[in-house]
Amino acid sequence: MEPLLKVENLRIELKTRGGTAPVIDNLSFELNRNQNLSFVGESGCGKSMTALAIMGLLPEGIGRIASGKIIFDGEDLAKASTARLRDIRGNDISMIFQEPMTSLNPVYTVGEQIAEVLRVHQKLSKRAAHKSAIDLLDAVRIPNPQSRVNDYPFQMSGGQRQRVMIAIALACKPKILIADEPTTALDVTVQAEIFELLKDLRAQTGTSIILITHDMGVVAEMAERMIVMYAGRKVEEGPVSSIIERARHPYTRGLIACVPHVTTDLKTDRGALTEVPGIVPSINEFGGNNCLFAARCNDAIDKCFNARPPEVNLENLHEAACWRAEDI
Amino acid sequence: MSELLEIENLSVRFPVHKKRTAFRDKSYLTAVDSINFNVKAGETLAIVGESGSGKTTAALAIARLTSGLTSGTVRLNGTDILDQDEKGLREMRRKIQVIFQDPYSSLNPRQRAEDIVREPLDNLTNESRAAKDRIVDELFAAVGLRPEQKHLFPHQFSGGQRQRIGIARALSTRPKLIICDEPVSALDVAVQAQILNLLRQLQTEFSLTYLFISHDLGVVQHMCDRVAVMYMGKVVEYSDRMTLFTNPRHPYTKALLSAVPSVSAKRQSKESRILISGDPPDPLNMPLGCRFASRCSKVSTKCHESEPELSRKSDGGRVACHFINV
Repeated sequence: MEPLLKVENLRIELKTRGGTAPVIDNLSFELNRNQNLSFVGESGCGKSMTALAIMGLLPEGIGRIASGKIIFDGEDLAKASTARLRDIRGNDISMIFQEPMTSLNPVYTVGEQIAEVLRVHQKLSKRAAHKSAIDLLDAVRIPNPQSRVNDYPFQMSGGQRQRVMIAIALACKPKILIADEPTTALDVTVQAEIFELLKDLRAQTGTSIILITHDMGVVAEMAERMIVMYAGRKVEEGPVSSIIERARHPYTRGLIACVPHVTTDLKTDRGALTEVPGIVPSINEFGGNNCLFAARCNDAIDKCFNARPPEVNLENLHEAACWRAEDI
Repeated sequence: MSELLEIENLSVRFPVHKKRTAFRDKSYLTAVDSINFNVKAGETLAIVGESGSGKTTAALAIARLTSGLTSGTVRLNGTDILDQDEKGLREMRRKIQVIFQDPYSSLNPRQRAEDIVREPLDNLTNESRAAKDRIVDELFAAVGLRPEQKHLFPHQFSGGQRQRIGIARALSTRPKLIICDEPVSALDVAVQAQILNLLRQLQTEFSLTYLFISHDLGVVQHMCDRVAVMYMGKVVEYSDRMTLFTNPRHPYTKALLSAVPSVSAKRQSKESRILISGDPPDPLNMPLGCRFASRCSKVSTKCHESEPELSRKSDGGRVACHFINV
């Protein structure tokens, strides 16, 4: 079956003071129907930029798609007009943003904000849209939706606001839902509820989800496939279970090992955490013909500093961009 | 080991003006409601809980940094902090320092790194100029910054490096107790590990006691020796690390632990998620009984009628629940 979304050799350039830098460098991936694909990596690695590019929301005048294709349902979004993109956003592809506190408009009730999407995209009447807004609030499990629909965002808790964001995103039954760190501002108990909700909604509607996160635990519970990004490049892609079991790129290994995970077999003595030394290189160093992770890597060899590693296909649809992927 | 910090019946209240009452009588929001716990010298006590549970307020009250009305006693090495006069407070501030959550906003952007680290020495100690310079140099080395970085301004550092400056500042007066208020939650995952390792290494090097506030249970599990779980201003469970993470007893602690997403398939299959539905009670109008009753799966009528006490159990841990007897 043809994939729902196919990104081919995407390159996004960002204007900086030091010239243009490729924030996304030769990225290709596919998203199937009813699949959950996760993007993982530190901040500044291009996870959110990928999402914004798919949505056609790159910062105007600063970021642009330099080359590559974003094929959604047979149509290249990289070449689509602004009007066409506007039509697709919300209808076919929609997005949940990171901060539920700031991404809702404080001067409109949540009901009006949900109804707006339906009135613009589906041309519903005011009354019908209001009624659908109540149903959507019920679907995202906000208790007593009849009266809560008239609440302003400040009257809701963080978790409830994020539910409203989800209701807005799902209002037009999109084919793809992009969730950019949807729970970073929330408590773990609320996070668990939001993820339960996303899982259930996906089971009901068959929406594909692109989940952007830095938490490996979340990826392990939510996604089937994952892409690890580093400095604008895809360094590893594969099924979640096989990457967690045996990551083939040293960066992925570091990301998994450096986080203290809650374990069941707890021991009294604890060693130091595995560190990934250093930080992500600055944007001006992106795009060089070398492995950008080499300076932080314990397994680096001379070749890593002199040539960009290709994406090596390993077994089980698993690939890694590392010169030493075969022996790691 | 002796108790470094003893906290008895600590409460923090904030006056709130109610709009509707004609007589403008003040009501109070009790952010921390008579909590008790001890911290042994050289140990790390973690306070965990959701946002709004009062964990930060409790910690700031211990350092006398809150504007709320504080009652109870907080003893550091036997001296009560809460009834110190200004002179005593200065003395005490030398012994308790804080590492803040956000390394971007907790450093003065107009000060050079060395001046930021030196400021507590200027304000709280009578060291000579040369001694201060020496201490600053030592601290830069201890937290892993290069000596030439002393003259830089905060914006020239990365997030992890800024947190290192914050740590050096907290260490400058050689405190006994350091309050770490979410010290890594604003940092990138790979940088978190660097800071956590540094904190543990400094703990042995400077024989520090940490009061560690975090909502990340993975981090808490790695860092703490003892844990206090707070819910709506109350401590609901207080246990050592092994007991709390292998045998959590309060229903809230159980729910909190089960909510953490995990990479290990073994843990995923072993633990079923306990979702706590519903909302926490209104902090201005607390229920009569257990504060968790409205969201608890095991609730009975007794829970709505009387508030369970935080009572000692056979293994030394303390739990505030009517259903936990041993």
